[in-house]
Amino acid sequence: MKRTGVYVCHCGGNISEVVDVKRVAESVGGQPDVVLAKTHEHMCSETGQNLVIHDIKEHRLDRVVIAACSPQFQGPTFKATLEKAGLSPYVLEMANIREQCAWPHFGFPEEATKKAMSLVGMAVAKVRLDEFLKKMTFPIGRRVLVIGGGIAGIQASLDLGDAGFNVYLVEKDPSIGGKMMQLSRTFPTEDCAACILSPKMADVAANRNIHMLTYSEIENIEGYLGHYEVTVKKKPTYVDPDKCTCCGDCVGVCPAVVPNELEEGLLSRKAIYLPSPIAVPHAYVLDAEACLGLLPIACGKCKEVCDPGAVDFSMRPELVRFTVDTIIVATGYDIFDAGQKKVYGFGKYENVVTALDMERMVVHSAEGNPMRPMGKRIAFIQCVGSRDEQVGNEACSRICCMYATKLSQLLKRSDPSRDIYVFYTDLRAYGKGFEEYYKRAQGDGVKFIRGRPAELVEDPKTKKITLRAEDTLSRNIIESEFDLVVLSVGLRPNEGTDIIAKLLRLGKSPDGFLQEAHPKFRPVDTLTDGVFLAGTVQGPKDIPDTVAQASAASSRAIRLMNRGEYDVDPVTAFVHVESCDGCGLCVDRCPSQAISLVANVAVINEALCKGCGSCIAHCPKDALDLHCYTNDQMLAQVQAALTDKKDTDVRTLIFADDMTGYRLADNVGTAKMSYSFDSRIIRVPSCSRVTPKLMLQAFVFGADGIILCESEKNSNPYPHSVPTIMSHVSKAKDILGQVDIEQDRIHFVQFVTVMLAGFVNNINRLSEIARSLGPIPAGPLRRLSQDMDKKLFGGDHDS
Amino acid sequence: MSVVRTPYDLRKIKIPKGEVHIIKERCKGCGFCIEYCPNDVLIRSDEFNAKGYHPPIIAKPERCVNCGLCQLICPEFVIWSTPKGEMEAFIRN
Repeated sequence: MKRTGVYVCHCGGNISEVVDVKRVAESVGGQPDVVLAKTHEHMCSETGQNLVIHDIKEHRLDRVVIAACSPQFQGPTFKATLEKAGLSPYVLEMANIREQCAWPHFGFPEEATKKAMSLVGMAVAKVRLDEFLKKMTFPIGRRVLVIGGGIAGIQASLDLGDAGFNVYLVEKDPSIGGKMMQLSRTFPTEDCAACILSPKMADVAANRNIHMLTYSEIENIEGYLGHYEVTVKKKPTYVDPDKCTCCGDCVGVCPAVVPNELEEGLLSRKAIYLPSPIAVPHAYVLDAEACLGLLPIACGKCKEVCDPGAVDFSMRPELVRFTVDTIIVATGYDIFDAGQKKVYGFGKYENVVTALDMERMVVHSAEGNPMRPMGKRIAFIQCVGSRDEQVGNEACSRICCMYATKLSQLLKRSDPSRDIYVFYTDLRAYGKGFEEYYKRAQGDGVKFIRGRPAELVEDPKTKKITLRAEDTLSRNIIESEFDLVVLSVGLRPNEGTDIIAKLLRLGKSPDGFLQEAHPKFRPVDTLTDGVFLAGTVQGPKDIPDTVAQASAASSRAIRLMNRGEYDVDPVTAFVHVESCDGCGLCVDRCPSQAISLVANVAVINEALCKGCGSCIAHCPKDALDLHCYTNDQMLAQVQAALTDKKDTDVRTLIFADDMTGYRLADNVGTAKMSYSFDSRIIRVPSCSRVTPKLMLQAFVFGADGIILCESEKNSNPYPHSVPTIMSHVSKAKDILGQVDIEQDRIHFVQFVTVMLAGFVNNINRLSEIARSLGPIPAGPLRRLSQDMDKKLFGGDHDS
Repeated sequence: MSVVRTPYDLRKIKIPKGEVHIIKERCKGCGFCIEYCPNDVLIRSDEFNAKGYHPPIIAKPERCVNCGLCQLICPEFVIWSTPKGEMEAFIRN
């Protein structure tokens, strides 16, 4: 006889303010295998956990239900509690009566309490069938891939290299250094950017544990935590870095000239060039696209004059393959394309430049080689490309107020006779030393005007720019001529990031940057195990925050790798050997090739099995099953969800996948958005676990509608789940059609975790449809339950 | 990097300048020099030589940088370039 303990948490009022927790505990106390049902103020606290440990020992409990917050929130806490009491952590079920009950239904205490009772009943039904499983442990090595060689990638590589881990640092430019290498000074200390970056870059080159692959791009990444197979395409530089002495003789004879990327195109370079004065690796590079030609060799003068013989036209692109255990994505940002703001005339007007252009101009002025005359009257326009619905970016880019404060001060101090204006919307000086720095700028005589300029007009003869803006604080219209206008452009997601995001199936935040696993507690993790984010790839930020994130990401990676092994929940497929007849249909259907036939019985390779559950639907003998989400458990939950349904009620079942659907439901509740309380959410590792049979059985037991909520294809950890689910849904709908049940009762929607309103709308819509269609009449239900296996699998094994 | 302007230093940079020489009568009209000139200096002319072929003519002499590919690639020793000092740089596109 099972001995279940049920605990209903007040959650410090979060639950008990809405749900009558005593009633919920009492409702389940009557069940035969429920030995005790208690309430507690804070189950996750030490006293709460100790209560469970004590009860397990005192009352010889062999399974536990905790009705509280989301299992994705405190699940690990309570699993550890069971382990401390000597019980398998897998005989725990959590009923989510906070994020998925009390919070979304906060205005409806009676309905919320009834739903909580139902959810606890579902958890009790599931836990009854839990097995005493153990964690699975897999080995993990000490190899890390860092994608991107800007300051974030550099910092992460150094932290990992110094800690004794092997780092592959892949950078698409010929030198590491990124955007920071282009800056003049950094706010608020006015450190010379290149001067503080250069030693770090040299450290990367000197670190024996860091293997730098520059001028290289990621071709492909396959695999999973502990086993990422990476293919990198290394472009040829046509110069042997070991022989090149950087004498520069080649530059003198090269006839091909192109805009210089380091200088934002404001200056030129030759096809053969040194990427930067502080380039690492420090060697010249031949840009094949700029060169007159290498196949055949059109010119070849650089090779002729190269004394050390470093120029080598026989170099070819190389495919470098290696395996790593974890990955850090640090691909950085691009600046907003100022040409999109047509009213500012960037690209048309000679005297309108971006802030990054200005950084380069300041660098060269300071060296005594001004690029161009800057004039006496300079204006900065803030929020270009940020906080702007028109260009599709409502977010603030965080650093522009400060970099404008910096550039304006540098310009003013280098020539105090200049008149410098900063036209701002808000002046955001939030960080350490920022407000003081802003005050200093004001003291230096930089004029800050609160108002966003509407338009810039160029004088066709003088080329000077007339700027029209409202000074909103003094309520005056300013119309003034300037020699130079600087657009403080915002930060946007990098083009290259998109490719990496697709390869690693990483989600994006609404602002377009890559999405962190949890905004508060996991700011550098992603929802893909073993992949971390660092720097502006995750969102706009300044250098100190970038460095902090890079170190954080390294620390998270080390945390996974340091023990040499990592734990995984044993959510793997298994075979009911007595039912398996060796037909072998499942073997080809497994997306991970984890199933094979041995002695005419299906066998699962647990190391390969990802626990998606796709195979289960293909077995005509119900021989395939999934640990922690068994067929019997799924059915038991469905039945428990429908058992208290009155004839006048409508009840919909929501299957939500771990990665997105379930998370999204939690986010909706956390945001206190309400939706129909007819819904019952059932958690699955992936909706490919939901077989057509289960859906049909659900209708037989009284469900009025079913919706499958799954991660959208590109960010789904199970790449094959979406087509699998579509085929399951199609099959189920087909059979519904055969027995005259409306096919619109089954919905399948793909989500990303930020689609809160989308989730709410889809749930409500399904309830409305179910309500308007009315209950399924007895006749079609009877026809549905007859010969269900035959309908699903045909006569013999020919599905 | 969005390329919206001519680099400020373009005219200060000097690149080699070349002068193209063609012995029209040797040409057999293979077109290699026209096809492979990296700076599109040559085009096929409409006039004929005695053998009945269209030799190349110099359409854009200001773009010749004396790379020497035409000389290298011509099978008939028809065309070559000689250095002619330096000129202001231009972006090839």
